[in-house]
Amino acid sequence: MKQPDPQNKQAEPGPDQELIYTNNRELFYHFDPEKKEYEQRVGYQHSANQVIIKQSWDVVEERLNEVKEQVIRGELSPIAWYMEKNLMEVPMLAEYTGFWKRTVRKHLTPKGFHKLDGKSLNKYATIFNVSTHQLQTPEF
Amino acid sequence: MTNIKMDFEHRQAGHCESGVTSNLLNYHKLKISEPMVFGIGAGLFFSYLPFLKMQNAPVTSFRVWPGMVFDRSTRSLGVKTKIHKFKDQKASMEMLDKVLADGLPVGLQVGTFHLPFFPPEYRMHYNMHNMVVYGKEGDMYMVSDTVVEKPALISYDDLLRVRFAKGPFSPAGRMYYPCSVPHTIEIQPLIVKGIKKTAYNMVGIPFSLVGVKGIRYLAGRMRKWQKLYGDEKASYYLGQVLRMEEEVGTAGAGFRFIYGAFLKEAGIVLKHDGISEAAIEMGINANRWRDFSYLGSRNCKKRAKPEESYDMLADILLDCADKEEKIFKKLSGIKL
Repeated sequence: MKQPDPQNKQAEPGPDQELIYTNNRELFYHFDPEKKEYEQRVGYQHSANQVIIKQSWDVVEERLNEVKEQVIRGELSPIAWYMEKNLMEVPMLAEYTGFWKRTVRKHLTPKGFHKLDGKSLNKYATIFNVSTHQLQTPEF
Repeated sequence: MTNIKMDFEHRQAGHCESGVTSNLLNYHKLKISEPMVFGIGAGLFFSYLPFLKMQNAPVTSFRVWPGMVFDRSTRSLGVKTKIHKFKDQKASMEMLDKVLADGLPVGLQVGTFHLPFFPPEYRMHYNMHNMVVYGKEGDMYMVSDTVVEKPALISYDDLLRVRFAKGPFSPAGRMYYPCSVPHTIEIQPLIVKGIKKTAYNMVGIPFSLVGVKGIRYLAGRMRKWQKLYGDEKASYYLGQVLRMEEEVGTAGAGFRFIYGAFLKEAGIVLKHDGISEAAIEMGINANRWRDFSYLGSRNCKKRAKPEESYDMLADILLDCADKEEKIFKKLSGIKL
């Protein structure tokens, strides 16, 4: 199969595309091949790049929804949902709490979660920046 | 503690570490641009490490290890610096207060997930971000973050939290600052040294996952992604490469623009035609990288069929690899 010649394939800037994120303007460098000059411009991230930033958030959201369903079905504890919401994985949560990884894994099950004492609940709540009540009854 | 505010100039930058270094040195009356710091610190690199996974995708990196640009550039310039890491969280804040009271702005390594003034779309667990603290008012610290448009404020508790973020590359309260800066610096040999170091990193290391060879290896792998992993995962893997290339703190095209700007400045300082030519070639190369990311991003839209073939994207990578090989082979032989 003949491939398109990469030399001729160029990306056109797409200013007409809608921007997803407009919270902050950053500094970007550019090169003008005609003037042979570099310049710095402050602006929003290019729409094409915003697509790839959104891609990683979409993946996060999808995973979070899956975990939510599992919590509702009683297969996982609310800690699993909060962990996902804070983009954490077991090793990181273990580091934050000071528990062993296998202890954290136990707390991700509803059975292990119900055995948690007030002190441990508080620890998780502080890390997730919620009250212990919110931790026990998450508002999805 | 009394209130402190230093006359620190907040300047946005393309790359947090080079920007912070440049801004800190600027405070100490050493005028040096961000690209110059990046070049002397030999920040440009490429590595593709498929056996390491980050966010469930192979690690791709366009620059050297975090912290190296500050270390290398300041050491090279003969700037005296201090670097501290902490186990004790309170001690780290006391040390920060003490250095601020001495009238020195401080660079901090922080995690971005809990950084309140950071744009929300970038708040992932990224622990290698850098920013400067240059003052304190009551419980609030004054921060200059090169990503953000204006100087910001952060509370004691929040600052403690981001300084002791956990996970890979955790900052452990790392703080660093220049304490004395030489009056005169002969910059020419430092530039040449930096260029040669980068040239070696890009074309001299006999290992197939780094430098120009690494770019070619990635191109080869990319052709197989769709067959091996299916559309969705291929798209995610590609997205991960592009995020490393274009997301916050690269100034675009995986630091290639910033490096080209350095070569441009170097060519003028050294009055060296070869380097000035390389600067133009690097700019053209950076624009190719940008084509790669703009075209590639079309494969990363939600639930969309890939619009561009992975073979074509891989061909652009090979084109970039050829260009960089040519540039750095030439640069490795430069003489003053």
